[in-house]
Amino acid sequence: MSGSREATGLDHDGGRAPSDGARQAQRVRTVGVDLQEAGEDARGVVVAVERDNPGATVTQLPGLVRIQVPGRLVIRRASVEEQLGREWETHEFQLAIVSYHGHIAEWDEDEIVIQWDH
Amino acid sequence: MAQKLSMKQRYSALTRDLDWTPDYVDPARVFPYTAFEGIKVHDWSKWEDPFRLTVDAYCKYQAEKDKRLYAVLDGFAQGQGHLSLSDARYLNSMKLFLQGVTPLEYAAHRHFAFLARYYNGPGPRFAALCQSIDELRHTQTEVHTLSTYNRYYGGMHSWPTMFDRVWYLSVPKSFFDDAMSAGPFEFLIAISFSFEYLLTNLLFVPFMSGASFNGDLPSMTFGFSAQSDESRHMTLGLEAIKFLLEQDEANVPIIQEWIDKWFWRGYRLVALVAQMIDYMLPRKVMSWKESFELYFEEQMLGGLFKDLEFYGITPPRHVEHAIAEKDLLSHQVYWTLYSFSYAAAFTTTLPDPAHRAWLREQYPDTFERYYQPPFDRAAAIQEGGGRFFFQGLPQLCQVCQVPMLFTEPGDPTTLCQRERVYRGERYHFCSDGCQWIFDREPAKYVQAWLPVHQIYQGNCGGPTVPDVLAWYGIQDGDAGSTSARSTTPTGSAGTPKPRWGLTMPVRAITEAYEFPSRSRAELYGDDQLVHVLWKGNMLLAAAATFRVPRAMPWAEFLAGVVDPWAASDPDYRPGTGRSWTLDGRPLEPRDADTLADLGVGHKSLLTFDT
Amino acid sequence: MQYELRQQVVEPRRKTFKYLADRYGDQPVSRYVEATVGVQPTENFHYRPLWAPDHELYDETYSALRLADPYSFLDPRQYYYAPYVTARAQWHDAVGRTLRYVEDRRLFDHLPAGWRELLGGLVLPLRHYESGAQLVCVTGARFAYGTSIEQCLSYAAFDRIGLAQTLSRVGFALADGGDELLGAAKESWVGEPALQGLRRLCEELLVEPDWGAAAIGLDLADRLLYPLLYQHLDEAALRTGAGPYSLFAQHPAGWYADHRRWLDALVGTWCADPVHGAENRAILAGVVAAWLPRAAAAVTDFARGVERLVAAEAPEAVAALAERAAADLARLGVPVEPQQVTA
Repeated sequence: MSGSREATGLDHDGGRAPSDGARQAQRVRTVGVDLQEAGEDARGVVVAVERDNPGATVTQLPGLVRIQVPGRLVIRRASVEEQLGREWETHEFQLAIVSYHGHIAEWDEDEIVIQWDH
Repeated sequence: MAQKLSMKQRYSALTRDLDWTPDYVDPARVFPYTAFEGIKVHDWSKWEDPFRLTVDAYCKYQAEKDKRLYAVLDGFAQGQGHLSLSDARYLNSMKLFLQGVTPLEYAAHRHFAFLARYYNGPGPRFAALCQSIDELRHTQTEVHTLSTYNRYYGGMHSWPTMFDRVWYLSVPKSFFDDAMSAGPFEFLIAISFSFEYLLTNLLFVPFMSGASFNGDLPSMTFGFSAQSDESRHMTLGLEAIKFLLEQDEANVPIIQEWIDKWFWRGYRLVALVAQMIDYMLPRKVMSWKESFELYFEEQMLGGLFKDLEFYGITPPRHVEHAIAEKDLLSHQVYWTLYSFSYAAAFTTTLPDPAHRAWLREQYPDTFERYYQPPFDRAAAIQEGGGRFFFQGLPQLCQVCQVPMLFTEPGDPTTLCQRERVYRGERYHFCSDGCQWIFDREPAKYVQAWLPVHQIYQGNCGGPTVPDVLAWYGIQDGDAGSTSARSTTPTGSAGTPKPRWGLTMPVRAITEAYEFPSRSRAELYGDDQLVHVLWKGNMLLAAAATFRVPRAMPWAEFLAGVVDPWAASDPDYRPGTGRSWTLDGRPLEPRDADTLADLGVGHKSLLTFDT
Repeated sequence: MQYELRQQVVEPRRKTFKYLADRYGDQPVSRYVEATVGVQPTENFHYRPLWAPDHELYDETYSALRLADPYSFLDPRQYYYAPYVTARAQWHDAVGRTLRYVEDRRLFDHLPAGWRELLGGLVLPLRHYESGAQLVCVTGARFAYGTSIEQCLSYAAFDRIGLAQTLSRVGFALADGGDELLGAAKESWVGEPALQGLRRLCEELLVEPDWGAAAIGLDLADRLLYPLLYQHLDEAALRTGAGPYSLFAQHPAGWYADHRRWLDALVGTWCADPVHGAENRAILAGVVAAWLPRAAAAVTDFARGVERLVAAEAPEAVAALAERAAADLARLGVPVEPQQVTA
């Protein structure tokens, strides 16, 4: 990661699990989403996700923000609305998402849940 | 309104239950393609689509995405944005993208329409239909984005022709043709699962972060905008595999084989991305090795496959070879492209000192030891006013169609050669993975349109390099250099064909799925193809393939065919090859023996060292 | 005060892609053309399909209707993805606003006798007709030769599923926001006599192996059904005080007018093709002869069902529409005899 750390001037270790200690402790598998780093809406979503998911690590990469959480990641409509100060449909998440890993276990009008099932 | 449906109920009511069981015609005639692969589906309604996107919501959000994207494109064109790139060399990766990836988006568009027609269940049909038009979106936004660059730079002007014709683009083309020609379930595992879920992050995120990092705002914008659709497509892949695994236990071994096949097929395809990440981006985002570890080893092997264990699915066959190659892959592929770049529509240059330092740091175990030496020698040639090229055409893998540049597992200095004789004809493979894929369905892979063989059959515009480049649509200025020698084949008579080998039936809709090899001996008249490998020479990325008369005497073969090619290495002294082997057996040729006398058959492999 | 804008000017090496310059000269082309013309691969396919070993992956012979140059047909609407999806976002938004207005004021509760039953009992089940139409269109999306034709069929397929969902939303509006009418509508689709002709037509189109013939066969039914439902009955609704029906009908009517444009252009291009024109005209005449009577019979059955609910001279309207369809096709170049094709 030294190349990109040097290039972005950001510390990426927090965003990745593969330091030796983390690898051993990786009994709880991480799930995560990559979001476009684009404007106010994305910022509001990131803040809401950080607040709702204790243990979330947020990493900046060129053009995108990566959020990783051990086990289960939840995006709550109410929290995002609070951040943005306006109505926000969960479908709107599709304007921000770039990629994810895990399984989308739920996507309804109130929340989106990403986790591994088995 | 007294009642309001939840998103889940509304989605279900709008998308499900739209179909009915036909009784004016035989239902099996309405859905004729979902039986022959052996997959059993008992209840199509068990299909889950977590996105729950209805047509009205789809149009609303997609229109919003495109509004934002085209605003960026318009602003970029107006502001002469192409002048703000970090370095024009960066555009090589976008040339490769337009030539090799955009056509895959289009192929996906067309074939998801096939799934949207022929799946028996309306749930997956609707998901496939959305994906079909998403993929059309990606094709078009990519063309529109790169159209601005096309006005100022080479390598993009003839992308559809190039995709159909150019040698290195047969790698992505054959990959997708393979998936499209398969049945509807295999296509889904191939594209939605293996390509979109397993490998998409390796393919796209580095491209897009690279774009962002190198001042290419439009490509970053279309890339991330496309990726927001990809996340739906990834979901389709994951839902698909879980659905099929849950429907019937008998599906598990079939799907495991498809995962095994398509992991390896996809992994070989992303070899082109590996070199792009490590060599083509002037400003580096992360190394291939690092993205492989993160996106594949950690997220997929460590995450996804742990989940799939539940169903009895194991990590893909040959994955250990992919892991072992992570220190080698990008260097081997880039060196090959450098060696052949007189026939490519992009530029290759030698890594400068800072770039080499970065490569040493990223690849401490391999770069300095194995890959810096050829770059040093090429640099010396360049200082002398020359340019290193591989003076011939490379031997191609019958399955992945990449030049046979890969090395034996555990031995980075020995090129890997695998071979099968099927119905009397010899076929070569770059790896155990590709050989295994061939063995499953030889009747399919004998049809491969291998660019090198097609050139030698005279199907690619003519016998010389300039003829072929013109036919490819490559113009001056697309590549770094166009100075390379012509390879003109000649003509002569036949050896008896050996009669041994495997006959594995292909599971097709009819028993009669039999096609002749597109490289069969008779297509070469009195000539034949011969592969020649200089063992242990790291300057020559792969064995070379030649078309030569069977009646050609050995001395003439050496002086007229082998020597000019081996002279690609300036240290080669004509006639110094020794320890010859023919198809793995020692060979002691005498000058007057003809190739036929010596038992050199069509597509035989000759090796030597010095 | 005047500012002098200084900027670096780099002369472009070319104005568009080479294969477009070969066709149109080296000049800027529209985004529609860039997104469409020459995009589909044409040669050197690697493997024959396991599901159709007698064809290539892209093959002109998936239909008997051929064009010497597939890009002699272009969509007069110039839809590539962005304008298409933008137009449909506006369409669905307008439909949504109409339906919300209707629901908020419970306008469907105040329809004159018969109209509510018409909507719930005969129009709502057509969501299945649209679903069948989607399958017919998407067959062409896969098998048509050339991006300009398949692109229209791809969007048409997506339109049809959108129409199916739109009709379902009418079902929600009729049931106070619930989905209970949808089950009954499906029972009607498979059992109600007035709908069986249309269901049979859908099923038969789904086993028609030539995507072009199937697309035209479907269009022959559309040419009768859409003007009947959303023009003839719309006028009847306005005459008889069924205004809410008309509020809804304006949307499918608008869609159908848009949809006609590319289909008529395609039929015209097939008929006028310099190489295959004569053969195409004969094939199209055969398709019309085979499918127009079936479509007329099916839609006439449907119209009789309509007539039992609202007196609107619907069967007579179908006969007139069938004659008009034949005349329209003749104008596009298809040699059809109007009197031969009415049911």
